[in-house]
Amino acid sequence: MSEALLEMESPTTEEANGVTEETSIVNGNGLDAEALERGDLLAHDGVPAALISMRDIWRTYEMGTEKLHALRGVSFDVQRGEYLAIIGPSGSGKSTLMNLIGCLDTPSQGRYWINSKLVSEMEDDELARIRNQEIGFVFQTFNLLARATALHNVELPLIYAGVSAADRHERAQRSLRAVELGDRMTHRPNELSGGQRQRVAIARALVNNPSILLADEPTGALDSKTSIEIMNLFEKLHSEGNTIIVVTHEHDIAARAHRVISIRDGNIESDERIK
Amino acid sequence: MSFDDIKESAAMAVSTVRANKLRSALTILGVGIGVVTLTFMVSIIQGLNKAFAEQIESLGSNTIFVSKFDPSFGRPPNNEELHRKDITVEDAEAIRTEAAENIDSVAPIRRKIAAGLRYADKETDTPILFGVTPEYEYTLSQYVERGRFVTENDMRGRENVAILAQDVVRALFPNEDPIGKEIKIEGSPFRVVGVMETLGNFFGQSRDNSVFIPLPTFDKYWRDIEPPLVVFFIILRPHTRAHVPPAMDQITDVLRRRRQVPAGAKNNFGVSSQDSLLDFYNQLTGATWLVLTAISFVALMIGGIGVMNIMLVSVTERTKEIGIRKAVGATRANILWQFLIEAVVLTGLGGVAGLAVGELASVLMNAYSPLPAFVPLWAILVGVGISASVGIVFGLWPAWKAARLDPIEALRYE
Repeated sequence: MSEALLEMESPTTEEANGVTEETSIVNGNGLDAEALERGDLLAHDGVPAALISMRDIWRTYEMGTEKLHALRGVSFDVQRGEYLAIIGPSGSGKSTLMNLIGCLDTPSQGRYWINSKLVSEMEDDELARIRNQEIGFVFQTFNLLARATALHNVELPLIYAGVSAADRHERAQRSLRAVELGDRMTHRPNELSGGQRQRVAIARALVNNPSILLADEPTGALDSKTSIEIMNLFEKLHSEGNTIIVVTHEHDIAARAHRVISIRDGNIESDERIK
Repeated sequence: MSFDDIKESAAMAVSTVRANKLRSALTILGVGIGVVTLTFMVSIIQGLNKAFAEQIESLGSNTIFVSKFDPSFGRPPNNEELHRKDITVEDAEAIRTEAAENIDSVAPIRRKIAAGLRYADKETDTPILFGVTPEYEYTLSQYVERGRFVTENDMRGRENVAILAQDVVRALFPNEDPIGKEIKIEGSPFRVVGVMETLGNFFGQSRDNSVFIPLPTFDKYWRDIEPPLVVFFIILRPHTRAHVPPAMDQITDVLRRRRQVPAGAKNNFGVSSQDSLLDFYNQLTGATWLVLTAISFVALMIGGIGVMNIMLVSVTERTKEIGIRKAVGATRANILWQFLIEAVVLTGLGGVAGLAVGELASVLMNAYSPLPAFVPLWAILVGVGISASVGIVFGLWPAWKAARLDPIEALRYE
């Protein structure tokens, strides 16, 4: 919310309607002309075939009588297997965008599909299910349960997915071994280094085979050597076919991605393929 | 909500309880006190009830008791009752004839406290003197052990014969066989012809401190003494337990007619059976029951408020954890159940602790005090059930608060 506060301004009806110079013109199917020009495929009935499709996404916060727009009509697609960085200074709206991509929040206006599912219309509990099945979160501050072991932390998404205990153990162990923490399974977060904690978080993010690995400043709390290790791990995961989205304000972290979307003042400033 | 979810939540709850030992202990104590109060109160009431039922049953099987006083427990008769017309031997005979279809035997009894009972140089204090008929033995299921009981001949001849109960034998004849010896009751000579079997206690009072003489002999000496110094009552034995209610109705009819009670007026006499005594007793204790239960519930409420308080603290403290769980896919129901189960674990532990203490207290009470105490199985189940319910009721609001947290806000919470 503090980021959004910087963008506070008086509302106008034009903005509420979602028409500004930077927004693409929306066609009847809710797809923008630009995307159609790029030759994006439609799966059926105007539902995009891309892994992620955002169409004219607005996020407006009401502060008393003031309205402030954290996002002003953002549209983009992410294909399966992409390695995308979303970059922007603080207050640009990138955190709001991350919350929307991660289904922690819903847009005030616009449509958002993951895997052809229209999540922008979903209720709380449906969103929880999408987060559980489609999204693997990696946070700046790791966000592990302090009292639980590494293994239990990694099992957490599987518990909410309704996986049986035996299956859960086995899959969590496999996931921890994949991030080279096979010998740290019974350690609690405070018995692990920062890099190890982030790897536990990555193991947790991957354990449910999500469609997207969504990382929010994943190296923000790590020293430079460990940062490089974690970024190398991301590269490896990408080469194995995972779709990765990293939200960051650091250019050298963004430079590791294959595509960079730059956000400023709630709009996409640039969208470049760099590899 | 699968079994795995419940297991996960219960495991988390136990680990939370462990992580906050003092806090949890205090909360458990609060609920525990509520449950102790409940079980302790129940155990006292149950113990008293059980003891009372046993005492009533020890009176002999299914007898009906008739006197001119209303049934009571140790309450002295009031003025109105004292001035009622006496029940008579003729009343007893009328009942015998008219209620024969329901009644086996009738025992009219006159009773007073004997002021002095002597044999040679020995004296015993205040035994109870009963004037009885031969039917007394069968009617009350109290029999002579040695010698004989009152006979028809004793009745006709108003013989000065006496049958002693065990306490009197011990006091007057510690080393001798009493049979055939002459004793003095308030100065008048009586010949001992029999010794009663041990009769036991009734509400702490020995029934073995008694002397039995023929009813006509009793009337020969103590006819004109007014109640309550001498009381007359009739004990009747119905054929079976099933004959008790019709017998009581018939007795009431006979007595109302003979005593000319106007239609619609209250009985000026008392007819009671073991069952009606039990009913009466339960009525008396019912009010006590209600008060004690109310007290227990207040105690449980206080414990419950403690649980709610601690759960609210717990939810606030673990906002971040709730955010993490929601981020990885926990639904509102998942979070709600987690905190609800945690509250139930807390109160459940309190319940078990409380039951243990309550049980211990009732054991100690039985061992070291005259008050009987008894914890029935249903009270244990109810205790555990109630403490779990307290968890659900008082845990619901905090759990609902947790379930409704916004995941973004929760994740940002430090």
